[in-house]
Amino acid sequence: MSDTLLFGVLPYLAVGIFLIVTIQRYRQRTFTYSSLSSQFLENKKHFWGSVPFHYGILFVLFLHLAGLVIPDMILAWNAVPLRLFVTEATGLAMALIALVGLVNIVLRRMQVSKARTVTTPSDWIVYALLGVQIVTGIGVAIFHGWGSSWFATSLTPWFWSLVRLEPELSYVSALPFLVKLHVVNAWLLIGFFPFTRLVHVLVVPNQYLWRRTQVVIWNHDRHTTRSVD
Amino acid sequence: MRKTVHTRMAGLALALLAASAAGQAPSEEAYDYFALNCKSCHTIGGGALTGPDLKGALDRANRDWLVKFIQHPKAVIDSGDAYGQSIFRDARGVYMPDPPGMTAALADKLVDVMEVEGALEKSRFAGLQISDRPLTAADVDFGRELFRGEVPFASGAPACFSCHTLAGAGGFGGGQLGPDLTAVYARLEGRKALAAWLSSPPSEIMTPIYRATPIESEEVLALTAYLKDTSATGQEAASNGTLAFLLTGFTLAALILVLFDLAWRDRYVATRAPLVALRHAAEHTIKPTALEGPHS
Repeated sequence: MSDTLLFGVLPYLAVGIFLIVTIQRYRQRTFTYSSLSSQFLENKKHFWGSVPFHYGILFVLFLHLAGLVIPDMILAWNAVPLRLFVTEATGLAMALIALVGLVNIVLRRMQVSKARTVTTPSDWIVYALLGVQIVTGIGVAIFHGWGSSWFATSLTPWFWSLVRLEPELSYVSALPFLVKLHVVNAWLLIGFFPFTRLVHVLVVPNQYLWRRTQVVIWNHDRHTTRSVD
Repeated sequence: MRKTVHTRMAGLALALLAASAAGQAPSEEAYDYFALNCKSCHTIGGGALTGPDLKGALDRANRDWLVKFIQHPKAVIDSGDAYGQSIFRDARGVYMPDPPGMTAALADKLVDVMEVEGALEKSRFAGLQISDRPLTAADVDFGRELFRGEVPFASGAPACFSCHTLAGAGGFGGGQLGPDLTAVYARLEGRKALAAWLSSPPSEIMTPIYRATPIESEEVLALTAYLKDTSATGQEAASNGTLAFLLTGFTLAALILVLFDLAWRDRYVATRAPLVALRHAAEHTIKPTALEGPHS
C-alpha cells in the first residue's frame, strides 16, 4: 500500500507540482528565477561551498540521467569490471565532493551573519532535502553497490513504466530501505523544486561552467521578491 | 451411434466427477503463477529442490492447511506448527517467501494444480532437464565470464556481478545489492536446485528482470559450474572490496578538491589581506628601506 503511494502516486504528484508551479512562477514572477547570489557578502567560504557542491552534484546527476536514458550503454561499459570500478569510484568521489560543498554551504549560512540574513526557510528545506539525498546516495554506493549497474536494470524499467503511465512496482518494491529513501527523497526534491532557489537550474546559462567567477550585487528587498505565495 | 454418444457422455460425466473431486479444474492463471513463482523451488514429481516435491502434498497435509501455508508460510512456521517446522528443517532453515499477490482463492487453485499434476505420470513441473554431463573447466571459465558480464547473456539479462560478489571476484568485488554467492552451491545443496533457481530466479528483485530476459540452459549450466567451483575453493567469505572502494573514493575526492584550489588559484578572496601578505613577504626578502611606507 505504502509502496503504491510512494512509487506509484508520489512521482506523478511531484512532476505535476513541478510543471504547474514552475510555469506559473516563470510567467508571474519571472525575476524570482534565480538563486540570489550571496557571494558578494562572503567569498572565502562561498568558494569551498559552491564550487565542490555544483561540480559534484552535476556529475552525479548526469550519471543518473545516463542510467535512465542509455541504460544499455551503461551496462555495456560496466561489462568490464575495471571500467565498472572506475565509474563507481568516480561517482563516490563526486558525491563526497558534493557533500563537502553542501556542508560548507550550510556552515556558511549558519556562521556568517550577512549570509544568514538573506536565508529563507525554503533554503533550509532545500539544504535538508539535498543533505538527505547526498547522504543516502553515498550510503547506497557503499552498502548496496554497484548501483550504476543495477539502477539500469531495476530503477530504469520502473521509471519508464511511470512514463508509460503503467507503473510496475515489482521492480522497486523489494529494494533495500536506503535505496527507497533515496528514490522517495528525489521525488520530494522535484516536488519542492519550484518553490525554492533550485529554479535557477532551469535558467542557468551553460557558460557558468567555465566562465570566470564574477561578483553579483543585489539591492532589492529579498522578502518581497523571493516569496512564492 | 447411440451407444457411442452414451459412452462419450459417460466419459464426460466421469471426467467432470473427477474434476469436481479434485476441486476445480486448475485455471491457466494458476499454471502461469506456478511457473513464475513456484517452480524454482518446487517440482511436482521431480524431487525436492529448496522446497519439497509437491507430488502428493495432499496426502501429507489437508487442503485447508496448504491454503493457509501458501498464503503465509513464515507465519505458519513461526507459530510452531509441527508440519511447518518439519518443512522448515528440510529446507535447511530457508523460509518460503510470502508469494506475491497471494489470496486464499489463488492458493486453493494452486493446490488444484498440485493435485492434478501430481496424479500425472509426468508433470510439466517435474523439474528442469538440465544436462547431467560432467562440468568441465571450460564451463567454469564460461560461467565466470557470464557472471562478470564479460560475455553477455544471450537474452541480454544483466550480469550477476551487478548485484553479487563472491570469493576471488578481484578489484573492489561484485555488487552488494544481493547476497554473497561464494557458497551458494553448497547452500542450495547442489546442481539441481541451483540450476532451478537460475532458470527462474524467485527473489523479488530478480523476478521482474529475469522474467523478461531468462537465462538459457547452457548458460545456467556454466554458471552452476562456476559457482560449484567457487563453493569448493573459496572457503572463506568473499574478500570485501568495500574498504578499497572507500579509500579510492576518498582519495579521489581529496585530489579533486586540490585540483579545484589550483584551478582557481587566482580567485578573488579579499582586497586588503593579500596586500598585507604581500607586504609581509616582501619585508622578509627585500631590503626594508626599499619598502618603507608612510606608516613605518
